[in-house]
Amino acid sequence: MSQTLLISGPPGCGKTTWILNQIQSHPGPCGFLRLVGYPDEGLLQARDGGIDLVWLQDQCPGLLDLADPDKALAPRAAKLLALIELPQFQPPTDSGLAGVDRRAIPQLEALHLSPDAHLHFGRDAALPHQDTLDFSSLQAWGRNLAGAVWDPASLSSFWFELVNGAYGDVYRAKALMNLPDGRAFFCNWMVSREGSQFLPLQTLASPDGRPQRLSRLVVQGKDLDPAAIEVTLADCLLSDAVLELQQAPLRQRKAPLHPSPVA
Amino acid sequence: MTHAVISCLHANLAALEAVLDDIDQRGITTITCLGDLVGYGPQPNEVVNLVRERAIPSCQGCWDEDIIEGLNSCECSYPSQLAERRGHQAHQWTAEQLSEENKAFLASLPMSLRRDRLLFVHGSPNSQHEYLLPDMDAFAALERVQTADADTLFCGHTHRPYVRELRDGVIRVRVQAPTDPQSPAEREMALPVRRIVNAGSVGEPRHGNTHATYVIHDEATGNVEIREVPYDVERTCRAIVEVGLPPVFAWRLRHGFEYAERADDASHVCER
Repeated sequence: MSQTLLISGPPGCGKTTWILNQIQSHPGPCGFLRLVGYPDEGLLQARDGGIDLVWLQDQCPGLLDLADPDKALAPRAAKLLALIELPQFQPPTDSGLAGVDRRAIPQLEALHLSPDAHLHFGRDAALPHQDTLDFSSLQAWGRNLAGAVWDPASLSSFWFELVNGAYGDVYRAKALMNLPDGRAFFCNWMVSREGSQFLPLQTLASPDGRPQRLSRLVVQGKDLDPAAIEVTLADCLLSDAVLELQQAPLRQRKAPLHPSPVA
Repeated sequence: MTHAVISCLHANLAALEAVLDDIDQRGITTITCLGDLVGYGPQPNEVVNLVRERAIPSCQGCWDEDIIEGLNSCECSYPSQLAERRGHQAHQWTAEQLSEENKAFLASLPMSLRRDRLLFVHGSPNSQHEYLLPDMDAFAALERVQTADADTLFCGHTHRPYVRELRDGVIRVRVQAPTDPQSPAEREMALPVRRIVNAGSVGEPRHGNTHATYVIHDEATGNVEIREVPYDVERTCRAIVEVGLPPVFAWRLRHGFEYAERADDASHVCER
């Protein structure tokens, strides 16, 4: 029997981590969808741009994208666990499905999705109770980094500055970042937690130019300084020439160990 | 005689003024500077002028050398592309601001200063760019002091003040003559206590808080006091932004971080 769960909560409360755990422990097929959240007074939602989906699909290769319109009308697989994430600042006023943000209903209807249950972080005991914050004011800023490749040491310095307040009071930051050797990292930080997560993607790109996968940075906080972030990004990202300089030895290392016969 | 040793001023006038006030209040009249008068900070001319006005003997730091030599001396030591870009920006700005007279002054600074058995250098006796970290190999540390023919070596460059005593130093030499391979000659030298004293940094503290640091050394007793001096950090931070240096330098200074980034490879010595 299939089940569809709607999981909501404020930024950084652990929605995606909880969903990942559910997917990894579910014996059958799973699907995922991240709905666009809605702003509340003084509180802006960040545009995830697909970070969560790419991260989850990397960790769970068979994960279905519930937003795929071609599959919206297809019969659901038996024992499908469909997990829908909804960023939502305020706790629902009603319990259960009646508490689903009315503004999100059209998104669900468009994809023919009908949740069986609604769980909200900070309200429902089935979800971890820690790490929920009440925000009174929140800006959001995102940057598409498609094709961008980082100097690894510069990424480390930038992230340190970002989460420690060099570009405003950052409450939440997450990103998918490419390195020149073909690795990518899911970078995750929340003000209420100690330390950042730098989780490597299992999918490696070939060290042959710029990777095609999604790369994006999303930041939420107060008094953010996007112009200063852009200046630092420009100093951290590799040019074509430097990228080639770093990747060429990696390609050679992958060449067959046996020397070619000399003509 | 009691004397003060300051290092790594990094064009931070507020910090230098506070440290000199602290030294003056203690009635100390002999001051030695271990270089890096400029670089990253917003007042290179003011800091050089003050050192010259006070006639403080100084040796040349890596930044002082870079400003004169045109950055070719050690750009290979940057720990990241970001640090390199910011370093170049600071270098270019500083080079544009410094008067020709002050550049000539920096160019005239010696690599080291000596007073009896006390040696004063920026990084190490080998190079302005070499870091003598407090936990470096004891033999290597002893070698730096011994070959410089000093009892106490004063250095800076790491921006972290410390005093390290090197005791029980023994060098054993075995010489085997080709004519008599069965009877090598052995000689053992027991070395007296040597000391490395790092003065920390006036203008870019990196020891865990924002206070400027320097050291006071009593030659009669051998006592070394590491001084921490609070100063008007915000004054320097405002100046950084006003002159057009990267605002992140101000943020980093305000939080007790280095202006750019610390070199990961502390043992790096530029061979260019």
